[in-house]
Amino acid sequence: MMHTLRKLALASSAFVALATGAYAQQTVVWWDFLAGGDGVRMKALIDQFNEEHQGEIQIEGTTLEWGTPFYTKLQTSSAIGEGPDIATYHLSRIPLAVDSGTLSEITDEDMAGAGISDDDFTQAAVAAAKVDDVRYAVPFDQHGLILFYNKEMLGEAGMLDDNGLPTGLDGMENFEAALAQFTADGKYGLSMPTGDRYRAVYSFFGQQGGTMFDEAAGGFFPTDEDLAKLTTATETMKRWVDNGWTPAQIESPAALALFTSGQAAFFIMGNWEVPTFTDLAAKGEIFEWGAVELPVLFDTKAAWSDSHAFVIPANAGKEADPEKRAAVMQVIAWMDQNSLDWAGAGHIPAFNAVRESEEFKTMKPQSDYAGFADTAVFDPRTILAGPATPLGDAWSNYINPATTGEIEPADAAMQMRDDLNSQL
Amino acid sequence: MLRDRRREYLTAFILVGPFVLIYGVLFVWPTIQMVMLSFTKAPLIGAGDWVGWDNYVKILTHRLFHTASWNTAYFVLLTVIPNTLISLLIAMAVNRLNGWLQGLVLACFFLPYILPVSVVFLTWNWIIDVQYGLVQGVVRLFNGGEPASLTRTIPLFMPTVAFVTIWWTMGFNILLFLAGLRTISPEIYEAAQLDSAGRWRQFTRITWPLIWPVTALVLTIQLIAQLKIFDQVYLFSIGGRQDATIVLVQYIYKLAFQQNKGGEAATAAVLLFAMIIILSVLQYQLLRSRGEK
Repeated sequence: MMHTLRKLALASSAFVALATGAYAQQTVVWWDFLAGGDGVRMKALIDQFNEEHQGEIQIEGTTLEWGTPFYTKLQTSSAIGEGPDIATYHLSRIPLAVDSGTLSEITDEDMAGAGISDDDFTQAAVAAAKVDDVRYAVPFDQHGLILFYNKEMLGEAGMLDDNGLPTGLDGMENFEAALAQFTADGKYGLSMPTGDRYRAVYSFFGQQGGTMFDEAAGGFFPTDEDLAKLTTATETMKRWVDNGWTPAQIESPAALALFTSGQAAFFIMGNWEVPTFTDLAAKGEIFEWGAVELPVLFDTKAAWSDSHAFVIPANAGKEADPEKRAAVMQVIAWMDQNSLDWAGAGHIPAFNAVRESEEFKTMKPQSDYAGFADTAVFDPRTILAGPATPLGDAWSNYINPATTGEIEPADAAMQMRDDLNSQL
Repeated sequence: MLRDRRREYLTAFILVGPFVLIYGVLFVWPTIQMVMLSFTKAPLIGAGDWVGWDNYVKILTHRLFHTASWNTAYFVLLTVIPNTLISLLIAMAVNRLNGWLQGLVLACFFLPYILPVSVVFLTWNWIIDVQYGLVQGVVRLFNGGEPASLTRTIPLFMPTVAFVTIWWTMGFNILLFLAGLRTISPEIYEAAQLDSAGRWRQFTRITWPLIWPVTALVLTIQLIAQLKIFDQVYLFSIGGRQDATIVLVQYIYKLAFQQNKGGEAATAAVLLFAMIIILSVLQYQLLRSRGEK
């Protein structure tokens, strides 16, 4: 018995010695929430990184469920020092993450060590990555709501210009006329999942120049005017439903199928759906399609937007390891510098050198809608914002049902304001 | 004699010890911690200041807690007794079959029970889908030719999820009932037939009273399971009006993991814990006393 124990002890100490000997190669534990086309492209990037950095840095990637499951796991694991070395994050959620102490500060020295700085990124994203001038994230992309269209249907209706881009969609009257025109023979003008309508409503709210949140002025939708703008935006969507231009109740997979089977002329969705169509087109299973910025239906250009970024979890109680941190920063810098492949997933790179490169400028349809990045409306800077947060819940509980007539749009707007303000 | 008894105690302690230890560490201690937590203003992780009964006042007067309580009660009403009755009916039917046919039919009814909830959700979500769902053919008949969403139309939500839950879980109950039915000696039925008792009389006078202990067990297991309902309701309500269809465990989840309010979530959990204990003990006592008559 004692003999066996001694043997075991010897063996384990030998193992420890071995493990320490292999210290030269850094393993970076990576968590993301990227599924579908996003996931495939990120996986390819990670593989490429690992290949180029053999013997130096290896990324060990895990993909978790998007939304609450991901963010909950990251928060709880970070709190006990069991979190990953690097994770993807939505910039809209940074205020909440900082409030709950999940993230580690990323200093100017960290950035400089990897050869990047704030000047390399879009300024809107840089600002969104900071809370009280402290940086907690490095931006990766910007994504937002765009308008996909069926080129064949629009072509037949004579609504395409010489470059194959739609014309005459701006202005409420024009766009609604188009929606009405394509709604016939069981086909719809527009397909869009009921659960995602709030993104269009928020875009239309932004097109009217509404203010969603102003702490000094009293919280959410501070003036009656803002509330009226939200009501108008909601009523727009409701009118489309009432007129039968878009199905009243439709889930995401069905909404996608409706468009890809040629049953709807337009599809309003995030640019992350681009790979779906690219892949279908590669297999020859879809009509000619395109994607452009949302049409301007009110006063100014605006589209709902958010941003993927990289963060370093705080990992409380875990000893700081400068070498590991340098490796993580190197991973981040490499990902940003190689984000042209990520643009293949439909996203707009936050890294200036890539976004302004000739390769990106000729990428289709990305370059047709890239303009939205400049006029995007982000979630407001509050701990209630971001995916899988009270703001997301409020959209689903009040605004989406108002577009199908379950609640009056004006009541829905008021209830949303009161609900959110009560949680501040 | 005395030594023997001591040795018996030692054996008993060694045999029971591991269970008591694990039960204490993994259940009793966390439960005590949860009750303590409910009196603090703690976030999801870490300690918080002592606030006395504040959380209880806050939760008990919270509109969403009332919605969640009502929805949970409604769901229990829609599932517990219907599921038990349907399971008993099917078990009696299966019991009349013989040999491999019985095995086959039983397997068909039991199969859904071994599916994970996510598979059940995805399958049914397509079956009831507004645009492409099979069920819409029936829905159209009752809705003036128009399709309707069964999970986004709030009054239809709970009945739909209850239906799916019964479909999913009844296999296990059928198994319990079948085991119970098999313990009833065929001689009793033969004797009853000789006394010219009809089918209905045989059921009310023989089957029902003799199967009662199993029925009481099934009802109690169901009650506890359905009071803790979460998965199906959560999955079917994603992207919809979650506040309107929220149930108690979902409310706890929302407080803890979405709003980072560990103290308030613990309070709601303690309240649900108390409710389950009181209701299940009451129900079991009630059912047992009835069975003894």
